[in-house]
Amino acid sequence: MTDQQTTDVAEPEEETSNLPPKVPRLPPGEWMKKNLFSSVGNSILTVVFVLVILAITRGLLGFAFSPERRWDATATNMRLLFAGAYPQNQFVRMWVSLGIVVALGGLSTGVWRAGGRMYLTSLLLKGYGVGGAVVLVGILAPFSGSARLSYFLVGGLLIAASFAVQSATDEDTTVGTLAVGLVGVSIAVGSFWVIPYGHHAFIDGAQVVSDGTVAATTKGPLTVMVILAVLTYFLGREIADRVDAGWPRKVLSLSWLASPVVIVFFVLRDPDFDYGHIATTEVPIFLAYAVGGGLLLFALASPRIGEVGRIIAAVTLIAAAATFLTPMLQVIRILALMLAVFALAAPTFSGNRAARLRYVTVWAGVVLGLLWLITAINSPATVESNSSFFTGGLALTLIVASFTMILSFPLGVILALARTSNMPLFRVMSTTYIEFVRGVPFITILIFFSVLFPLFLPENMEVTEIAAVTIGFTLFSAAYMAENVRGGLQSIRRGQYEAAEALGMTTAQKTVFIILPQALRVSIPPLVGQTIGTYKETSLLAIIGLFDLLFVARSLIPNQTSFIGSVREQLLFASVIYWMGAYAMSRASQNLERKLGVGER
Amino acid sequence: MSDAASASVRDLSGATNMIECEGVSKWYGDFQALNSVSATIKEQEVVVVLGPSGSGKSTWIRCINKLEHHQEGRIVVDGVELTNDLRNIEKIRSEVGMVFQQFNLFPHLTVLDNITLAPIWVRKKPRGEAESAARALLDRVGIPEQADKYPGQLSGGQQQRVAIARALAMEPRVMLFDEPTSALDPEMIKEVLDVMKGLARSGMTMIVVTHEMGFAREVADRIIFMEDGMIVEVGTPEHFFTNPTEDRTKLFLSQIL
Ligand SMILES: Nc1ncnc2c1ncn2[C@@H]1O[C@H](COP(=O)(O)OP(=O)(O)OP(=O)(O)O)[C@@H](O)[C@H]1O
Ligand SMILES: [Mg+2]
Repeated sequence: MTDQQTTDVAEPEEETSNLPPKVPRLPPGEWMKKNLFSSVGNSILTVVFVLVILAITRGLLGFAFSPERRWDATATNMRLLFAGAYPQNQFVRMWVSLGIVVALGGLSTGVWRAGGRMYLTSLLLKGYGVGGAVVLVGILAPFSGSARLSYFLVGGLLIAASFAVQSATDEDTTVGTLAVGLVGVSIAVGSFWVIPYGHHAFIDGAQVVSDGTVAATTKGPLTVMVILAVLTYFLGREIADRVDAGWPRKVLSLSWLASPVVIVFFVLRDPDFDYGHIATTEVPIFLAYAVGGGLLLFALASPRIGEVGRIIAAVTLIAAAATFLTPMLQVIRILALMLAVFALAAPTFSGNRAARLRYVTVWAGVVLGLLWLITAINSPATVESNSSFFTGGLALTLIVASFTMILSFPLGVILALARTSNMPLFRVMSTTYIEFVRGVPFITILIFFSVLFPLFLPENMEVTEIAAVTIGFTLFSAAYMAENVRGGLQSIRRGQYEAAEALGMTTAQKTVFIILPQALRVSIPPLVGQTIGTYKETSLLAIIGLFDLLFVARSLIPNQTSFIGSVREQLLFASVIYWMGAYAMSRASQNLERKLGVGER
Repeated sequence: MSDAASASVRDLSGATNMIECEGVSKWYGDFQALNSVSATIKEQEVVVVLGPSGSGKSTWIRCINKLEHHQEGRIVVDGVELTNDLRNIEKIRSEVGMVFQQFNLFPHLTVLDNITLAPIWVRKKPRGEAESAARALLDRVGIPEQADKYPGQLSGGQQQRVAIARALAMEPRVMLFDEPTSALDPEMIKEVLDVMKGLARSGMTMIVVTHEMGFAREVADRIIFMEDGMIVEVGTPEHFFTNPTEDRTKLFLSQIL
């Protein structure tokens, strides 16, 4: 049960007592005897399987390392695979975007004090394994003599080094997992400076190949990223040491949520703001809503306002709905709706003067953020490219996937709550929606949103194809999320509802503080499964002709005159990239589950 | 036993009525769970409700804070009649504390957060004030050192005492207990009963459904005996345990004592 505590209570990093006790390991010979050769039948199976696996591996290696393979097609098109046709002279924006993610990751790791320690012996075991695998590759792959020799050398060195470390250290030595990760990444990035992988690029439409290490425009920024990760990690730890952990965590969580928006609309797209228009339109709208709405909310958040407050909130909602009947700026309507939501929620956040002022401040922040975002989206971009979107490849895949996750999660929660609510209207609407979406093939929805959806919009509204399909993805994914969350909601015992009710909590308070935190914790495994599914389903964007990773790999590169017929290499590379993302998410969710103690109790 | 004597002879005749039930009836489908229950509980009074399983004890006290809705009759708590008006319900609930057989603590919150959540969000108390009040309450129920643990890390008896502290944090006028010790191991029952005795001594109005006859004898001002959704007999503990009038009461007591 102590696991629960780790969610909130930071433990000192040097703590080793929470490592599982080491299981005494059998010597390899005995282990094999016990597990692989315990009987005649077992021995036969073992031999057969080893042969089959060797054959498959040999086939794969034969494919990957055959001299016919056009891996130079992949190497030359790295930029296209990762960023699509993003303009070359603006490429630093891509690195800045990656930098934002790396910095947030570093800060979060530090603030949450993530990472523990592992036994050195289990690391060395991996060292033996990897070394052995490298030697095996050297044996099986169709190499020329000298290449084969270098594989033997590297593998042998790894094994020897592991052995040397093992004999020099104590059985119980532990190492920090973060340090191990950092060393691994540093070796990988460092090798770009040392090992002559070769330098492939398209320069002015011509393929340029030169020997030597990879381009400085690749290894330079990557090195900066590693340094940035380390620096932000220590910064995060400093912050966690000096400040009460609560609010840095809140700020970081919000920053993660906001990061895709900031990256896409501000860093990558770079809106061309019309400051004259902003001064005459957006600033007055902001002042009107922040001040006028703020005063209204300050009044509504008074604990003594009672019945009158509810009536005023209802009137606000009706007024907001009425704005849709007359032509006016879209922002005014959206903000009016937001104001109505805040007005309705005011009783929940009512309290003393400080609480009311905090509520008004949050409102002003929301108005500012929304206006800024809407203005940015509506401003023309300074970065443009000739494809249907300013970027493509893996970047597009990640953009669509992360927006889908962020948008479909709250929508899914709302749908699940509606489906389990007491109000028949909500229940029927939600059930109908979920069952409809689940009954339709996703391709249909995708094609609908890419081709037909723009035709259904009001005349003065336009969305790009990317936005349209992201909406499609979101609506689709939300239906599945809703079912996962509903499973979590059903696992909450009646007593929890009754205890909350007996304390006088309103339905909203009960849901937000008691029911959802428990339900979502239970739903983490299926929700992550759904998220991984969405990430992989973005490959369907290739079907409607968007330049995502799969489309670049399947159609663009194999059609370049120098690389005709290199489709298999590209597909293999794309699969590896997809797999790495999915595997990372899967591991992250396992960690999260362990931390939150899901499945215990 | 000196406490028992002082409790049992308390003169409550001048006290105001805290809870009035008049002809309360409730049906689950065709099954009548409460049959015209009428009772008045005075301020500071401690009432123990006894009765065989399925007699409607839980149903009745759950009606008093509207966890169940009665279909007929009137329930008035501290001068406010229970209707289906939502705000009315929340007001009543924040004045009536309830302790459940299964504790029903919030497992994802620390003990301190369990206790302060409702005072902060329902009573709108500033956090600091709510926390110091919570610590004082934990002191009162005898577990001041457990504030930062999670419910799953506590023993049953400790959990139930946290649940009592959580209900008290709302500064209720009435406390309802539905078999608060039935889910506890024998060695933990006493620690919870001691807290409840202290509460009774401090003048809290309490309705307690329990099978702890010792507690009933010692602490109750009155005992209400229910069967088949009806109140069969009402009396002081002395009357009830030495000289019950109704045959059904006698039968029940002969089975249980
Ligand atoms: N939700 C419900 N639906 C249908 N019948 C119910 C429901 N809740 C209770 N009952 C019935 O109402 C009757 C009274 O139940 P109640 O829980 O009040 O009994 P009790 O006196 O508290 O019993 P116990 O001592 O076993 O807790 C029982 O016969 C029970 O089966
Ligand atoms: Mg009961």
